[in-house]
Amino acid sequence: MWVAALLLVTLLGTGLVFLSPDRYAGKLAAAISAVPALGSIYMYWVYLTQYGGTGNALLSPADIAFGQQLPWITLGELEVSYYVGLDGISMPLLALTTVLTTLAIVSAWTPIDERQSQFYGLMLFMEVSLIGVFSALDFFLWFVFWEGVLIPMYLLIGIWGGPRRKYAAIKFFVYTNVASLIMFAGLFALVFSTDLTSLSLPAMAEAFRTASGLPTIAGMNLMTISFIMMFFGFAVKVPVFPLHTWLPDAHVEAPTPVSVMLAGVLLKMGTYALLRFNFTMLADTARQLAVPLAIIGVVSVIYGAMLALAQRDLKRIVAYSSISSMGYVILGLVAFTPYGMGGATFQMIAHGLISGLMFMCVGVIYNTTHTRMVGDMSGLADRMPWTVGIFVAAAFGYMGLPLMAGFAGEYFIFQGSFNAPTLGGAAPVLTSLAMFGIVIVAGYLLWAMQRTLFGAFSLETDYEVSPAAFHDVAPLAVLLLLVIALGVAPDLSFAMIQDSISPVLEIGGGA
Amino acid sequence: MAAFTYAPAIVLLPFVSFLVALFAGDRMPKGGALAGITATGGSLLLSIWVALTVAGGDVHNEILYQWTTSVETLQLNFGLLLDPLSALMLLIVCLISFLVHIFSLGYMNDEGETGLPRYYAGLGLFTASMLGFVVANNLLMAFMFFELVGLCSYLLIGFWFRDDGPPSAAKKAFLVTRFGDYFFLIGVVGIFATFGTGLFAPITQGGEVVAESFPMLAEHAIVDGETAGIAMLETVGMGPQQWFTVLGLLVLGGVVGKSAQFPLHTWLPDAMEGPTPVSALIHAATMVAAGVYLVARMYGFYALSPTALAVIALIGGFTALFAATMGLVKQEIKQVLAYSTISQYGYMMLALGSGGYIAAVFHLTTHAVFKALLFLGAGSVIIAMHHNENMWDMGGLKDRMPVTYWTFLAGSLALAGIVPFAGFWSKDEVLYEALIHGFGTEGGLGTAYLIAYAMGLLAVFFTGFYTFRMVYLTFHGDARSDTARDPEPVRWNVKGPLTVLGILATTIGFINMAPVAKLTGAEIDFLHKWLNGPENGGWPAALNTGLHHYEGLLHDVSHVVKGYPLGETPTLLASAGVSLGLALAGVLVARTLYAGADPVEHTDKLGGLKTLLMHNYYQDEYQVWLATGVTYPLARVMNKFDQGVVDGVVNGISSVSLFGGSRIRRIQSGVVSNYATLLTLGLVLLLAAFGIMGGWF
Repeated sequence: MWVAALLLVTLLGTGLVFLSPDRYAGKLAAAISAVPALGSIYMYWVYLTQYGGTGNALLSPADIAFGQQLPWITLGELEVSYYVGLDGISMPLLALTTVLTTLAIVSAWTPIDERQSQFYGLMLFMEVSLIGVFSALDFFLWFVFWEGVLIPMYLLIGIWGGPRRKYAAIKFFVYTNVASLIMFAGLFALVFSTDLTSLSLPAMAEAFRTASGLPTIAGMNLMTISFIMMFFGFAVKVPVFPLHTWLPDAHVEAPTPVSVMLAGVLLKMGTYALLRFNFTMLADTARQLAVPLAIIGVVSVIYGAMLALAQRDLKRIVAYSSISSMGYVILGLVAFTPYGMGGATFQMIAHGLISGLMFMCVGVIYNTTHTRMVGDMSGLADRMPWTVGIFVAAAFGYMGLPLMAGFAGEYFIFQGSFNAPTLGGAAPVLTSLAMFGIVIVAGYLLWAMQRTLFGAFSLETDYEVSPAAFHDVAPLAVLLLLVIALGVAPDLSFAMIQDSISPVLEIGGGA
Repeated sequence: MAAFTYAPAIVLLPFVSFLVALFAGDRMPKGGALAGITATGGSLLLSIWVALTVAGGDVHNEILYQWTTSVETLQLNFGLLLDPLSALMLLIVCLISFLVHIFSLGYMNDEGETGLPRYYAGLGLFTASMLGFVVANNLLMAFMFFELVGLCSYLLIGFWFRDDGPPSAAKKAFLVTRFGDYFFLIGVVGIFATFGTGLFAPITQGGEVVAESFPMLAEHAIVDGETAGIAMLETVGMGPQQWFTVLGLLVLGGVVGKSAQFPLHTWLPDAMEGPTPVSALIHAATMVAAGVYLVARMYGFYALSPTALAVIALIGGFTALFAATMGLVKQEIKQVLAYSTISQYGYMMLALGSGGYIAAVFHLTTHAVFKALLFLGAGSVIIAMHHNENMWDMGGLKDRMPVTYWTFLAGSLALAGIVPFAGFWSKDEVLYEALIHGFGTEGGLGTAYLIAYAMGLLAVFFTGFYTFRMVYLTFHGDARSDTARDPEPVRWNVKGPLTVLGILATTIGFINMAPVAKLTGAEIDFLHKWLNGPENGGWPAALNTGLHHYEGLLHDVSHVVKGYPLGETPTLLASAGVSLGLALAGVLVARTLYAGADPVEHTDKLGGLKTLLMHNYYQDEYQVWLATGVTYPLARVMNKFDQGVVDGVVNGISSVSLFGGSRIRRIQSGVVSNYATLLTLGLVLLLAAFGIMGGWF
């Protein structure tokens, strides 16, 4: 019921905001989005206090929290139902989504000054889809939400974006849509080769895990082929090298609140789906392919960080560094250890908060300076002390400063992958290589901060540069507090994540 | 023990002062300074209480807060380890921080500085982080606070962010130490993965060990061959001693970065861009000591690896000499002190590497006092000189600021190692330990010790020289500028801390007059007793962090043996005599060259060597080149590759499909007869195809 209520309230709110006058749309959307945000925080609290030891939604359906299943349609032999529910993996992601949406809406008040009702309506519509993605437990339903995210995103970039918005929007849409198609084909090859009668994710997990006698095509087991196709499909969303080039374009063109959602939540759809499908349903194959997948992760870490080093646009810097941070998630997932997989999931939350915070900081600066180029401004600390203070804190969070969420996520991943059985003797080497990311990230963020925030103030404007408004800084402060809270007490999320990760570790190879 | 119950407040008080100064500092008198002074004063009192309790034979090693509990096989915790070593370090950090806060009233508040809340918030956060590092009972917690002090260092070096120099220096400091911390982090992760714990000392309950420490597990693996539980060895395919050496060297990366040892020392001289009290607190007495302290903290682990010991000793000896030579030609007073700091930490590393655990901790203690004194003295001079730091513009300040002069002189005598000032006793012990272990130990390790010893010994001469060159140029002779003729007076808040430190710099060496103790048989080597504990039972038996245990490991596992080439007493006297003689020689040469009324720059006589020394052996140049000449261009090339090739393929695919679409579109001509033709043609082809496949023909 709870999930349905969240979906319904947000959906009704979407309609309401679309119909409201532009003047009130921003405030109204913020008020409406506060409902699912507070609702999911309440659910989080209930989960934290009452659902200790809950298992994995896909592997032990009896343990699903806030579950609801209603029959819907029948496709041939396949039953499709409205089936939603949460576990320790999706609960934090759901809370991340709703909280970040509210904050992103507030952060849009200053920069978005035309067609507000449509902008905020689309933001809420995207929230509906995202809530659905993280709570759906039926493939059909899930896929509807999964694709449903693309439509508002496409429009938000394409209408409110920068000069090359059309190119970026189409690239984003086509790239991720083609990826979805390949994933869909790979998955359905498996669905049709097993005797599934339901498209519910737990049923799929059971069927794929016990599947036998699958056909072999060109010397490869269908399981492996499907795994690769699905990995490809989800990896575009993450994104990993070399499937990442849509991301910087989308980020640079997207308005800041949309970048916040894109980096903070949309990328996690990719890793969430990888965890649910590739690493839970096809865990055996994932273990076999661990080393090549880990290499992809490590290359993403270093490659993304090196590219961030070459950028001059603050948004591009953060965009490329997202590729780097998400590479850690891949490394953690393939480790198949409590700290590895749990850390990867934790890192999704941590990176969602920190990258959202970083983009918001860049946005607040851009609202004032109307430039994001590192060379165009300097000494902003003189004029916007609190914004810059939070910027510096956020940047150190991104660099993995202890007692902030990013360090916890990265440390867990390193700890989990350093002696991961799936990676064998390559484990310490690959982990150590990935760790070098923490040096490069310090390089480009410190460099960018030195050039833009410090030194003598200079910026070519014909107006006074003054501190940002309260409603611009408040979302930053909220996010920073969350980042610190999770860094000091990671068990706020990590404990429930572990509850739902440990069943995944027990299946398959059993290491 | 009641003192241990309140021990967490030692860390928390400065943290509270950080919050108070940050959010309420601008509404408080003195911009938050009073909060900092109260907090560090409180921490100091609590530390004294802890030290007294420890002196009574009690120690404390408990988990305080569980960071993660959900993975049963490996829990990550925060805990307190209060033993003689950490109790001593707590005293040092709290004392220096307290004095620096008071000094800052004169250096920052009286100078009309803006941004005071930010300054005192930084000092508070630093003190809290440093104290957190000191009391950490496990390696992960130590690493976390190690990083946090790095952040504070960054913030405080870059305090004057409106100028160009400080932000750049701050960036460099964080980046260079981060490079070292990269290896440290691998080491931390590796140690947890190998042993399943990062505890420095075992946790016991009622005499039973409930959680073993990693140095002890390593010892069991090497000495008793208990390697069965260590899966990591199989992963890396190494023997225990080999792998533990690798881990030790990885952790050493962080030590080298933070304690500014070669080749990661380059950030420290730049860090002098920060306010001088910050230099005294962070970049001389405490944060830079963190690296050395860490080695001492996990000495039971390093003592198991002769290779790691040799590396530590050689890095230390080399750095001591290398940095001392660079200090010879510097013109700014803080630069001389910065290179001197690097050099002195080299001595501590030399001591640790060559089995002189006590000597290292001793030198750490005395150095914290006399180098903080020298930096604060320099700060007083800088106030007087209106923030001109060039020694060639000074001269003759002796008579105009007597308190500063006499305390600075005490600090200088201690630094140069002149009897009976503090530095003499500690530096002498460092060199003595290296010498006897170098003669006694067989093979490569002994040779390494002797080489390191020789470098350290040579550095004594240079130390005496650059120290007194600084003293003579600053305080003696005629005033060489108008400001030096009429310096700004300093107040009690400057003179007070100087006096306290001046007295300490003169006397603190008496806590461990080992040579006198040996010669007379008087039991006055208090520090030795403090760190050794009771010979049987007591805290060393519980924690295994006592000197006695370490000496056993050094002797039995690494085969570090004492040797006396001239017999015990003559060696002792010869060693002390030689180092004192060299120090005095250095002082005398400085006096000859610079003591006149109007000294001239003799450095020009060095010719090309001067250029080399002024450029610090081109160390900075090559590191900057690595960053801007190699890494950045590589990133640019990769960016080109990304735009051209990776994205090019994506755009290429879309171009191909667009192009294909535009060609195929031509079929859609809109002429009905064309469509009819195509339809018919298609039907015929289909029929033909089916016919052939179906075998109709």
